[in-house]
Amino acid sequence: MGDLYLVFKNLTRKKMRLALTLFATFIAFMIFGTISAFQSALDSGVELSADDRLITVNKINFTQPLPIAYYNRVRTVDGIVEVTHLNWFGGYYQDPKNFLPMMAVNENTFLKVYNELVLTDEEEAAWKGNRQGLIVGENAARQYGWKKGDRIPINSNIFSQKDGTTSWDFTIEAVYTGEQEQTDTSGLYFHYKYFNETQSFGGNYIGWMGVRTADPARNGEVIKAIDDMFVNSPFETETVPEKAFNQAFLAQIGNLGLILSSVIFAAFFIILVIVGNSMILAIRERTSEIAVLKTIGFKSGRIFAMVLSESIFLALMGGGLGLLASFGLIELFNGSGVAQLPTLVLKPHIIMQSLMFMLLLGGITGIFPAITAQRLNIISALSRH
Amino acid sequence: MKIIAQIWTVMVMNIRSLPQRLWMSLAAVLAVAVVIFVLLAFLAMANGFNQTLSGTGSEDIAIVTRDGSQSELNSVISRDGVNIISTAEGIAKDKNGNPIYSAELYVVVDGIKRTTGTEVNIPLRGISSSGVSLRDQVTIIEGRMFESGKNELMIGSSALREFSGFELGREVTFGKTKWKVVGVFSTGGSVFESEVWADARTVQTQFRRGSSFQTMRMRLANTGDITALEKLIEADPRLNFNVETEAKYYAEQGNALSGIVIFGWAVSIVMGAGALAGALNTMFTSVSARTTEIATLRAIGFSNTSAFMGTLFESVVLSLIGGIAGTTLAFAALDGLSASTLSAGFTQVVFTFELSPDLFATGIKLALAIGFIGGFFPAWRAARMPVVKAFG
Repeated sequence: MGDLYLVFKNLTRKKMRLALTLFATFIAFMIFGTISAFQSALDSGVELSADDRLITVNKINFTQPLPIAYYNRVRTVDGIVEVTHLNWFGGYYQDPKNFLPMMAVNENTFLKVYNELVLTDEEEAAWKGNRQGLIVGENAARQYGWKKGDRIPINSNIFSQKDGTTSWDFTIEAVYTGEQEQTDTSGLYFHYKYFNETQSFGGNYIGWMGVRTADPARNGEVIKAIDDMFVNSPFETETVPEKAFNQAFLAQIGNLGLILSSVIFAAFFIILVIVGNSMILAIRERTSEIAVLKTIGFKSGRIFAMVLSESIFLALMGGGLGLLASFGLIELFNGSGVAQLPTLVLKPHIIMQSLMFMLLLGGITGIFPAITAQRLNIISALSRH
Repeated sequence: MKIIAQIWTVMVMNIRSLPQRLWMSLAAVLAVAVVIFVLLAFLAMANGFNQTLSGTGSEDIAIVTRDGSQSELNSVISRDGVNIISTAEGIAKDKNGNPIYSAELYVVVDGIKRTTGTEVNIPLRGISSSGVSLRDQVTIIEGRMFESGKNELMIGSSALREFSGFELGREVTFGKTKWKVVGVFSTGGSVFESEVWADARTVQTQFRRGSSFQTMRMRLANTGDITALEKLIEADPRLNFNVETEAKYYAEQGNALSGIVIFGWAVSIVMGAGALAGALNTMFTSVSARTTEIATLRAIGFSNTSAFMGTLFESVVLSLIGGIAGTTLAFAALDGLSASTLSAGFTQVVFTFELSPDLFATGIKLALAIGFIGGFFPAWRAARMPVVKAFG
């Protein structure tokens, strides 16, 4: 225990330097925790995508339509549990800035394919029974203050009704939650029939299909069966696993992963330089003291361990505080409802990673001063004074 | 005058003694350099994107879309709508007295992003020769213009650089139809360079659009004056359209990356606080290393102002070096870097990172701020140091 006391005394002897070094470490781990949580929220769309779900889109591009007749043809394919179809509605609430991820779907099959959306049987029945029924995710409901039973008008920036207006009336039959904490609950879903019969364009087209297979192992076979069915038609299809589809879509925005990792890397680099330097300095200032310790019988190994534990202590303290602060920031962000992102969570793997980085930081910044202290020659060190 | 001479002497002494504190000083410089680099990376990205979009629109061109559609992709204009709008006053006329306008289509097709190998949304614009003439600086770099009535495409040079699938001479399949890439065009770095162009009527047929179009562009008789068009649209209840100048239309989309700017600033300021801790550390150490020196100077009659200014100056110089290193590195590594992102039109826009002189100044200013704050408190300590204690 005596050694620990010495380590503690050494750490706290220059209060200003300790505070500054702790602060720098604090900043780095606050950035790490917060940005990692953002990154994991961005990735959650990919991570949480179901392995047994496929997306069938028009081969030209997923914004091109498919004929509604394809839906019944795909349902006959072997190895499929259920199929549903979706149309992007381009919805917005009151102001075009309040855009909504809103889809017209087949109400009978939608919840069988997208079973991570949680609502009661009564709510499901009420939604299916009401042509103007709408189900809203809790994230969207929170953002606009909607609750079950509300009647709301929603506009489309793509479609118009036969009378020329762009506004549709809906009744919210359920506010659904997600099966998991990070399940996306910003989407709104309503009946395709309501959409198809009231909108003024061609009609009888769908945007894409969601396909649930009996077993992820059969995905390859199902993909081939679907796409072969429509080859050489004016509407060729491209079927891909949902995970691949979501990944490709994220990649369209840009290499967000690279941007975020670079920021984390830069933050750690700065802290490594600052903390490392301050450790080297601290040990250099103590040269004669260490020589005295050695003279009175401290073994080199013991000195080495003391210096190293000092730097690791420092990293753990600053890093721990930083992680705590990032936890607070994340809660603040989750409560604010600014961005349409899944819930930010400091996942266990992020906490494990930061602990590892703290040990690494402490190790790297302490190792060289520790070696210097270990190798210190008593006579030359004392004769310097 | 004496005080200025004193300050000058101390400044020079501090700078000359920097090599004695080489590693400590280098750490402070490096930390500042990294912060400035990160800030400029974000700002250069947003600036490049903004420049590309705001450089696209012209004040001489008006663009008509369906009201509330927000992007060309979502807009629809019927043949009748086009005909009525083309009669509006305020549209420039050619030498035969016909209005100069272009009715266009905008559909999305797949391309492959070269850096990731993933499918991305490429805009295929159905356009006519009058539409081409409504864009400034269109030049055919390779091959030739598409011919009307044929399944021929030409691709913008930015799109060709970032995406594969549309190389010159290549045959492209959309559904059952085959198209041939016959030309590569440039528009001087504007958004149009991220597009693929084909004959409007052919696109109508092959994408089953009947006789409808999506947007309409017209040359204005008077620069920026769209009042006549607005009046026409307002007066006719059949015309559910929105008209604005092309310059305004693209300028609005240019702010799409403003979130990135906020994020970049937030991250840089937090990191800057970390770098500030490094600067303070360096300068406090510098002051304590020079304790005897400062006390000596005070004892022989130097004022405490000179001790203050000397330390502050040292800190500002270190940060300035860091700032210059950071901006230089950012310029060397990032300026002109080509990137693309999904724009408001739901298609890829290719742009390049651009470090403007303004951004340089911003970077240097942040570095100076870190240096000033990082030097102020240690300088205060240096100035207040009791002479007797220092010798003790």
